[in-house]
Amino acid sequence: MKTPTLDQNIVLVIDKKGKDTIKTTKLDKTLKIIGLIFVYAFLLIVAFFALLPFYWMILTSLKYQDIGHFTVDNKFYIPFNEIAWSNYIKVFQVDGFDIPSLLVNTLTVVGISTIGTFFITVFASFAFTRLQFKGRDAVFMLFLITMMIPSELFVTSNFITMYRLNLLNGRWQIYFATMAPFLVNVFYIYLLNQTFKQIPNELYLAARVDGKNDWQYLWKVMVPIASPTLITIVLLKVISGWNAYAWPKTVVMGDATYAQITVALRDFADFSIGIGSSSRDLVTLQMAGTVIVTLPLIILFLVFRKYIMRGVGRAGIKG
Amino acid sequence: MEIRLENINKIFKGDKKKGVEDTIAVSNLNIKVNNGELAGLLGPSGCGKSTTLYMIAGLKEPSSGNIFFDKEDVTHLVPEKRGIGLVFQNYALYPHMSVYKNIAFPLTNLKVLTFKQSIKVKTLELLISLLDNDKYLEIKDLINSSTLDSKKINKDLALRNLINKYHISPSFAKTLFSLDYSSKENINDVIIKAKEDINKEKEKLSNKGFSIDNEYYLLDQDNKRIEEKRKLSKDEIDILVRDVAKLVQIEEQLDKKPKELSGGQQQRVAIARALVKKPRVLLLDEPLSNLDARLRIKTREEIRRIQKETGITTIFVTHDQEEAMSICDDIFVMNNGKLMQEGKPIEVYKDPKNLFVAKFLGTPPINVFKGEFKDNAIFVDNEKILDNVTLTNEYEDKSSLEVYVAIRPEGFIFEDNNETLGLSLKVNEISLSGKEQTLICSHNQRLSEQIKIVIDGDNPISIKEYRFKIKPNKIHLFDLKTEERIYFKDISK
Amino acid sequence: MENKNNFKGWIYLMPAIILIALFTLYPLINTFLISFLQDYKYATGSSSGFTFDNYAVLLGIKEFPDYLTGKGQIDAFFQYALPNTLLITFITVPISIVLALIIAVALNSIKKLRTLFQTIFFTPYVTNIIAVGMVFGVLFSQTGLINEILGTSISFIPNQGSEAPTYFHAMLVLCIEIIWYELPFKILVFIGGLQSIDRQYYDAARIDATPKIKRFLHITVPFLSPQILYVSITSFIDGFKEYQAIAGLFNSRGTTSLNYNLYTCVYFIYDQIQTGGQNINYACAAAVILFVIILLFTLLQLYVSKKRVYY
Repeated sequence: MKTPTLDQNIVLVIDKKGKDTIKTTKLDKTLKIIGLIFVYAFLLIVAFFALLPFYWMILTSLKYQDIGHFTVDNKFYIPFNEIAWSNYIKVFQVDGFDIPSLLVNTLTVVGISTIGTFFITVFASFAFTRLQFKGRDAVFMLFLITMMIPSELFVTSNFITMYRLNLLNGRWQIYFATMAPFLVNVFYIYLLNQTFKQIPNELYLAARVDGKNDWQYLWKVMVPIASPTLITIVLLKVISGWNAYAWPKTVVMGDATYAQITVALRDFADFSIGIGSSSRDLVTLQMAGTVIVTLPLIILFLVFRKYIMRGVGRAGIKG
Repeated sequence: MEIRLENINKIFKGDKKKGVEDTIAVSNLNIKVNNGELAGLLGPSGCGKSTTLYMIAGLKEPSSGNIFFDKEDVTHLVPEKRGIGLVFQNYALYPHMSVYKNIAFPLTNLKVLTFKQSIKVKTLELLISLLDNDKYLEIKDLINSSTLDSKKINKDLALRNLINKYHISPSFAKTLFSLDYSSKENINDVIIKAKEDINKEKEKLSNKGFSIDNEYYLLDQDNKRIEEKRKLSKDEIDILVRDVAKLVQIEEQLDKKPKELSGGQQQRVAIARALVKKPRVLLLDEPLSNLDARLRIKTREEIRRIQKETGITTIFVTHDQEEAMSICDDIFVMNNGKLMQEGKPIEVYKDPKNLFVAKFLGTPPINVFKGEFKDNAIFVDNEKILDNVTLTNEYEDKSSLEVYVAIRPEGFIFEDNNETLGLSLKVNEISLSGKEQTLICSHNQRLSEQIKIVIDGDNPISIKEYRFKIKPNKIHLFDLKTEERIYFKDISK
Repeated sequence: MENKNNFKGWIYLMPAIILIALFTLYPLINTFLISFLQDYKYATGSSSGFTFDNYAVLLGIKEFPDYLTGKGQIDAFFQYALPNTLLITFITVPISIVLALIIAVALNSIKKLRTLFQTIFFTPYVTNIIAVGMVFGVLFSQTGLINEILGTSISFIPNQGSEAPTYFHAMLVLCIEIIWYELPFKILVFIGGLQSIDRQYYDAARIDATPKIKRFLHITVPFLSPQILYVSITSFIDGFKEYQAIAGLFNSRGTTSLNYNLYTCVYFIYDQIQTGGQNINYACAAAVILFVIILLFTLLQLYVSKKRVYY
């Protein structure tokens, strides 16, 4: 049992250290500044850990290493005259890491699949938001459901399909096998739907009055209005295409000549291929290769930072 | 508590790189709100009234100047240490908490300064006093009558009834409910047991060197009460929450979530949350703007009632002059960050110091014409509307001057004759509302969008031109340049 | 008119529908079917009939038939892949969510340099997990920076010239790498959520003298609950599907020695295909098991969150 009625003598007090307002004010200001210093210090530490791997990658790629030595030093800097720029020439001569042809593979696949995804997404979103037909909502529902299913459920069967269709050998066959299962991305369609839906119907009616048909309206009005979203979609597709590993690796099991650069990068340092005195064992060259694979996307990100961050933040798309 | 603002300036820094200039939100503001008053900060949007309120709350810091609560300089004090209650424009009720929790939330942060009490003795004594002398029958009846439609006693209802009737805590109500009222012997046993417990407790305390005074406070060896600073107990919070809920009349809604309430009820919850911690000042930011017209009138009366009942110094911000005029003790009219005029609402209305205040107060708004003062008379479009007057103060020596002539809508008299004094207006529309009718008229020298005049509903008016006589005290003159008031006086006598 | 429109709608949708049918719907059914076939040979499509054995073997109820090869790999599913998957998920997801939340709140509380920090924190998102794995491999190598800082020479990574790492050390680096890689996405989503919380709630709480920690628990967390739910569902799904981080960090071998002890469910599935695919029906069954786990767990989260998430 506790007190049944509130004591009339009770005074609600504010927790103020002492009664001097000016002193309290000064103390609060000091505490606030100390708090801010802590926050910035914390963020700096986080930033350090976020950037450390990037710094280490670049730093290591510029250190000297002799064949046969597995390790390099752990210094945090290299004097300018000791920088091993030559690593970036040597990396082009590494066995099984033929950068020009890997880039051809990757750029072809990423380029074609991005273009393909762009048109498929635009067409699908146009149909879902602008056109009316029977079964539209049912199809959209079906699309959304496929989004919920983990892609690992498809890979075994898709591999069998590719094998049966004889798509695991030959340049264009492998290119096709690499990109086909990921051309449709329901997330992108969903994202574009949201943008298309915001375009007022009056614009469509106005375009009809001006004698524009649906096709012209799509390309002359809807696509330009939705261009920020489309840029986001294209960027996300490029990123995920460039970084894809599991499936591209699976389809090139038979013929690594047509592998994506990311897949080849992992095999670069695959010790199961054989430990020896090959230049593949050099950490510095591995890191030079890693820089070459990583840098294009980082530049892309820094240039299109806003589009990428907004897109990811809004739709929560995972790469 | 008295609130004083001295030479307050607030400048929002711009961004020179982006070409955004500094904005002066409040400039050289001096305001004094007396203890226990309801003051209204009034002005159009962007006039700096909300900024002023936020500076009083401590959410914004003045660029210069000082704010005093009584003699305490709180200019740079953080809001949490000012002891204020603030009702936000859109209430800012926590949507994930029930109404009860919303109101209780501020209390969970507060401490109380009080003297140590023997709660056990106090509770037992209260129990005895409620049961003794056959008073338990009252409780028995109350519990037995706490049924819904069936004959079975509803426990929740019984508890609520007990709490409301005896003003007790939920846990104490549970104790009362759990007693066996079937026979007098049982109750007597409870009383005897309670008395024994009291003696035991007193003994225990005296062993520790304490005694108890007649208000159950612990006394030390020098017979002094012992001070303590502590958090509020759940029961104390409960009582405070229910008290304030009763004050704003939302006792029935306590278990609901804010979104289940109407706008008016949410408003009350917001006020309750601001009041529950017994603040030194209550601040209301556009409290009625989210309500519909009917609720607005009802709620503003409510605010007035609550303010009078609690006697708490209150400042409320509004752009609606009618709202401010109807409930405030004092109004402060602001424009462009400056104080235009202050005073009792009716005085400000009757005696506006400048054209802005004249135009801002009153519905329908004042009618403004371009006119002239010459030959000791006031003219609008060469029609003499008032004669035998002379300008006063700094305009005393002027014999002729172009001026703004502002006439309140109720300043027109309908007399169907051609007197020498009057103003001809073409009536375009008539809207009759009971005993009054509002005429919408046109005039080629008007400066306001429309001329609206209000006259007695019995006057036979049709759509045509009339000549109206003007009540002299409803005419205000203003300087063309400074828009300041020009006073004049009658010289006919 | 309506007929014509009907026709047009389907035309525009055709590419998407064909591709989804071919590479999503058909495989879905096919995978499910194959998972119940005995001795399935993908090259010919032949099998010796319907069976539950694939599941039974994977779940350790039945022995792997001795007339087939690859027993070690298959046994590793129940022995390593399932426990590893759960372990990785239940370690990395809660830690990264709490960390991301703290970082997002800190980021949201500053004005100067916010964009810079936000950009820095987001950069790992656009980076290749394979590349990240290789860099972590260098950082954590036996003679690498981390060992030097710690003054130790622990083997974390199976690599040239180093001893075989212990399971614990390998798992430790893996979890650190996954958390590092998963943070940016979460921070971004939380920042978005934080910025959409009306400042007035915080002002109201300040006026009521609410301590900072209480503001965080009673305002920030409830208001962020939709984002927290969203992030936790997607990260649990991602955690259950972990594979590329392991491939990136430990080369293409999911093991510290040669017994597949760093397998995860998805690693198991891909490895079955990549090592020849003679037991692909087991890979299909594993995919179905994984799907059921993800489905159950997602439903559980939705159910639990029903009362706690405020929309």
